[in-house]
Amino acid sequence: MPHLSERSIFFEAIDLNDPHERRAYLDQACGGDAELRASVDALLQAHEAPDHALDRPPVEVPKIDFPHHIGSKIGPYRLMEQIGEGGFGLVFVAQQEHPVRRKVALKIVKPGTGTKEVLARFEAERQAVAMMDHPNIAKVFDAGVTDDGRPYFVMELVRGVPISEFADAHQMPIRDRLELFKNVCTAVHHAHQKGVIHRDIKPSNVMVTLHDDRPVVKVIDFGVAKAIGQSLTDKTIYTRFFSMIGTPLYMSPEQAEMSGLDVDTRSDIYSLGVLLYQLLVGETPFDRERLDSAGLDEMRRIIREEDPPRPSQRLTTLNARMTTVSNARRLDVKRLTSTLRGDLDWIVMKALEKDRNRRYDSAAAMANDISRHLTEQPIQARPPTLSYQLLKFARRQRVAIATFSLVALAMMIGTGASIWQMRVAYHERDLKEVALREATQAKRDVERFAAVVTEANSLVASAQTHAGSGRWKAAMDDYDRAIELQRNYDLPWIGRAQFFTRLNMWEEAANDYAHALSLGAATDTPQWWGVVALFTLTDHMQAANELCLQLNRQIALHKPIEQWEFVRTCAACRDCMSDQSLRDLAAWTRTELAKPEPPPQWDDGPRPPDRRRHPGFLFEPEGRPLRPPPERMPSDFSRSDFTGPNDGDTDWVGPEPSGSNPRDPGAFDSDQPPPPRSNRTGPPRSPHELPRNVRQYIAGLVHLRIGEHERAIELLEQARDDRSWPASWIVDAPMAIALHATNRADDAADALARSRQSIGEVTAMLSDERNPATKPPWFDFVEFFAFYTEASELIEGTTPIDVPSLEEIRSPVLMQLR
Amino acid sequence: MTSEVTQILNAIEDGDRQAASQLLPLVYDELRRLATQKMTREPAGQTIQPTALVHEAFLRLVGGEDKPNWDGRGHFFAAAAESMRRILIEAARRRKTEKRGGDRQRIDLSSDDVVAHPEDSETLLALDDALKKLDNEDPELARLVELRYFTGLTIDQTAEILGVSPRTVKRNWAYARAWLRREMEGDVSV
Repeated sequence: MPHLSERSIFFEAIDLNDPHERRAYLDQACGGDAELRASVDALLQAHEAPDHALDRPPVEVPKIDFPHHIGSKIGPYRLMEQIGEGGFGLVFVAQQEHPVRRKVALKIVKPGTGTKEVLARFEAERQAVAMMDHPNIAKVFDAGVTDDGRPYFVMELVRGVPISEFADAHQMPIRDRLELFKNVCTAVHHAHQKGVIHRDIKPSNVMVTLHDDRPVVKVIDFGVAKAIGQSLTDKTIYTRFFSMIGTPLYMSPEQAEMSGLDVDTRSDIYSLGVLLYQLLVGETPFDRERLDSAGLDEMRRIIREEDPPRPSQRLTTLNARMTTVSNARRLDVKRLTSTLRGDLDWIVMKALEKDRNRRYDSAAAMANDISRHLTEQPIQARPPTLSYQLLKFARRQRVAIATFSLVALAMMIGTGASIWQMRVAYHERDLKEVALREATQAKRDVERFAAVVTEANSLVASAQTHAGSGRWKAAMDDYDRAIELQRNYDLPWIGRAQFFTRLNMWEEAANDYAHALSLGAATDTPQWWGVVALFTLTDHMQAANELCLQLNRQIALHKPIEQWEFVRTCAACRDCMSDQSLRDLAAWTRTELAKPEPPPQWDDGPRPPDRRRHPGFLFEPEGRPLRPPPERMPSDFSRSDFTGPNDGDTDWVGPEPSGSNPRDPGAFDSDQPPPPRSNRTGPPRSPHELPRNVRQYIAGLVHLRIGEHERAIELLEQARDDRSWPASWIVDAPMAIALHATNRADDAADALARSRQSIGEVTAMLSDERNPATKPPWFDFVEFFAFYTEASELIEGTTPIDVPSLEEIRSPVLMQLR
Repeated sequence: MTSEVTQILNAIEDGDRQAASQLLPLVYDELRRLATQKMTREPAGQTIQPTALVHEAFLRLVGGEDKPNWDGRGHFFAAAAESMRRILIEAARRRKTEKRGGDRQRIDLSSDDVVAHPEDSETLLALDDALKKLDNEDPELARLVELRYFTGLTIDQTAEILGVSPRTVKRNWAYARAWLRREMEGDVSV
């Protein structure tokens, strides 16, 4: 009996801890039986190996579907036939014996939410539900708990088909669909008047049955969704969220937030909008597959932020399905598109507004608008007016600041921060369904705050438009109002600062920039190009230091500054940057300059005739100057997609900085986002976006700052000696400083003198408004004066007297502002 | 119900062989019912330990009244162990077929009725196979493993139920444990 002996050998062996002893014993016990020996060895190995399945007790018990048999009884109801099954649970036809004998629909809720809570919520709503009496609403009779602890609901039995399926199956024309949908609206309106919100309006809850060949709508599940779904407030029940409510295709933005608060009748209006959308187009506004596959956060973001296409637009994206959809409406594709375009588009989109205040204020109002459309009267929902579009713009901006303003902004502002925290605190309490009212209030506060920010944004947009058309005064007023609205919000400050730079009002610009900086504005955006020089020139040394500190920090965090203009910004201050950071920057410039050059950019393509007059170093291949990018939401510039010269996208010059081109507002209206660009998410482009000598100039500045003066002189000479770049007036002053540092007094004096001679030309150019398109960016001038002043003080020991005062520079514009 | 189970346990003790076969379905149903009820009433994410469930079932079906001796309990726990083994294996099989993609509706409904990790079901099924082989070789050992693993009885409790010394239980457990592992790993390598 080899098996038994194997066992006894095993027992003996495990008692022997010493390996030698054990081996000796095994040798002896097994004798020459190699098979036995191998088998015992395997046993011992298994005995000693860690992580044995048996050592981990089975941790979890599977949930077992308690069988609800046909014929079994639940309370006074006997199950007769299963008619539905889904994420919600099971639906049966059941026979009720008393007090009345009738057939009912019995819905057994899938386990998930606590039974007690479901019933308690239903009880709370029961009275209201009972008061609903409408031919298009299926009554809810009863609710209870099954033996195995699941809540169930007993409802009027509706043997129907979901409305969308019914309409398609019967090839209902648009008009008939609208008539049917109006009945849905009246039913929902009736419930709303009784204080019952449905919360889960979707085709499978809007059934259609035929009565004497006439389709009759029945909205089912009123009061049920609330009982089941209200505690869906947290990510931890993500899976349950989907299983209970199904896909969020019909869910309003405020429901998608799942704050559990504040869902009101207007959420139903939104869902009605989705339903109508589907009846018209055959698809939901957001793609089913996309929402299904998106994670919770992404799904919420889509619902909250993305504008769905209008029904008529959506139709065109259906491709192959388009014909099917049209046929089901007894129209050809073209006719269907034109039927939807206009009124129906606007009716649907009004119901689908993200901001529920902009939706129809009642289901009845929506039904009325549909009636008006059917009788060719003007509808209440209107195509967007200009002011409406401006508001939409502001809302888009709000999207951009969703992360920026509501988090960063709120954090940087005392009041905002406390509101935020209040909201968080309340949110937590709300999870326990406490303090509902206060939480609502807190949320309103946040919304009010967001509304103010939105308004400020729209004022900034309006200001940009005015500035773009040269209406300085109007632009100024809008900026002022935007700032006054919310003084802690940095965007209007930056906007006005840019506006001031446009007007050569450097002192004012510097003040606004400094203020924005103190509010914690993000500075890694092109709006901040050259601002260090501005701070230096206007004697805002603390702000200059702070700005450099931020750029420094970026380098310290190993986020290389791979933008020549930022490097240039850093180099403008004499001792703001740390030595190490400057050395890093210098090394970077050397590496970049050592790279092979693309063909010289300004030698191909036509040039504006006067291009050579200017040191406008920002040339794109066609010789059009690239201006500093637009005032836009800083967050829009988190990607480096604003430089345009060598990406082949030559049409895009960027919007005007503060409307620097009054005669030609350009292809860009400031209330529109820039045209979509194919390479937005493409790889970071090479830094060869500036002409070589401009890069040499910037490299020269950096080397000057780290004290490598010979290198600086060499680079600056190269920059100046390229005769295709007539930039002497900007190069001379830093050159003078470098020469001075290497004790070449005469050469330094000469360079300074050359710089001085340029003052007249530069000043004239500054106030020359004749050709704004080719005028160098404002910071060229600022940098020129800053370096000239620095060089004069260094070499001659005195503040130069020949620099025009800031007052002189700006006075011509001040007249226009009055 | 309580009295029913107690009666059966008494009958078994009196040597009624038929009674033993009546016990299993009762215990099995009670465990399933308990598991379902737990899952419904407990907040989501809460796990339910099978062993805890068995003990709760014991208290509900047997406990309280005139305490049966350990032998009576032994029958109960043997039935409970076998029931729990069936419940877990059924679930693991269901999970496996689901993974291969079965009826979509079924997936929707039962995707969250199994909380354990998928790899656990593989292990569980392998263990079940190995246990069957052990049962052919040595039914006593298989019963020991079933009792210990599926009801979570301690060495001492098991010893008391089986009427042997704790030392024997310990050694037999070690042997069965190694045997099963060798069997399971042999399976893997094949």
